Amino acid sequence: MKIIAVIAAPLIFISLYLIFGYARIEGTMLEVQKIFYYHVSAALTVFVAFGVNCVFSIKYLIQRKPNDDLLAAAAAEIGLIFCTIALLSGPIWARYAWNTWWNWEARLTSTLVLWLMYIGYFILRSALEDDKRGRYSAVLGIIAYLDVPIVYYAVDIWQGGLHPDRGTKWSLETTMQQTWMVALLALIFLFTCLLIVRYQMKKAQARYEIIQQKYLEEASG
Amino acid sequence: MKILVLVSFVIVLGLFLFATQVPVDITPDKVLAAVSEAVSKSEVPVDEEVVEQVVLSSIAVLEKGQSTRLKYLASAYLVIWLVFMLYVLRLGQQQQALDKRLAQLEQTPEAEEN
Repeated sequence: MKIIAVIAAPLIFISLYLIFGYARIEGTMLEVQKIFYYHVSAALTVFVAFGVNCVFSIKYLIQRKPNDDLLAAAAAEIGLIFCTIALLSGPIWARYAWNTWWNWEARLTSTLVLWLMYIGYFILRSALEDDKRGRYSAVLGIIAYLDVPIVYYAVDIWQGGLHPDRGTKWSLETTMQQTWMVALLALIFLFTCLLIVRYQMKKAQARYEIIQQKYLEEASG
Repeated sequence: MKILVLVSFVIVLGLFLFATQVPVDITPDKVLAAVSEAVSKSEVPVDEEVVEQVVLSSIAVLEKGQSTRLKYLASAYLVIWLVFMLYVLRLGQQQQALDKRLAQLEQTPEAEEN
């Protein structure tokens, strides 16, 4: 955990330096294009986070280990944070680029649907108890993950949207591409760091609840 | 936790101030050099004064829009920082509440024994 935090913190500072002091200013969007580095990286980290959620949801359904459910929930929670960042930073860029805060084009709409599904995931978790919570939320986590490829391929499936082609980010100028890679790496390390913290907290909370329940049973019996 | 929030806020604020005060770095010398280079490379005869006027008006448009563009850029990063900090603060609060409850749980049997 400490090693990951030690790597993540400098990477964030380095990425910020690269964004503002190293990467070339893009010709069309000029300075506003620099939103890209954290906006796109956050969106890709969302895919990783929800991917972790999906894998551990499947694992929970097969093996029924409570820790898998806790890890899946922790990944979904942090994925939701990154998704919020992508959804909030996007409209600021859109306002300048497309002259509108929001447009119901395929990628934006499918990302909003993804965000709403994981909000639903947490509403479901808070409404159910113990094993039911684990089972039902694992199923919802797997179903919700089906939206990730839809978000990713939205520009290909529904052509004519406002987002550029998927290949655009790979054809960037060298300094821009290097900066983006560092920003992406920084956010993935940050995600890993937050995931470990949140998972440990959830485990401690679960342990506390077990001890408390035992104590209450002993006290009443 | 408070130190982390404070340090990161200072960094984001610094970036905001830096970003909104950077002037477009195009001096008259650079403009003249670029214009004469363009004129010398041109295959058709062009009026140097006309080219200079076009370049200067383009720079004026760029400079005019720069502060607006930087505000968009700074706002986006401010929002990103805000979301992260709110989440980190919430995690800190949850951890504190959990520590408090664990401490209470540890104290309860001791209190009964006494």
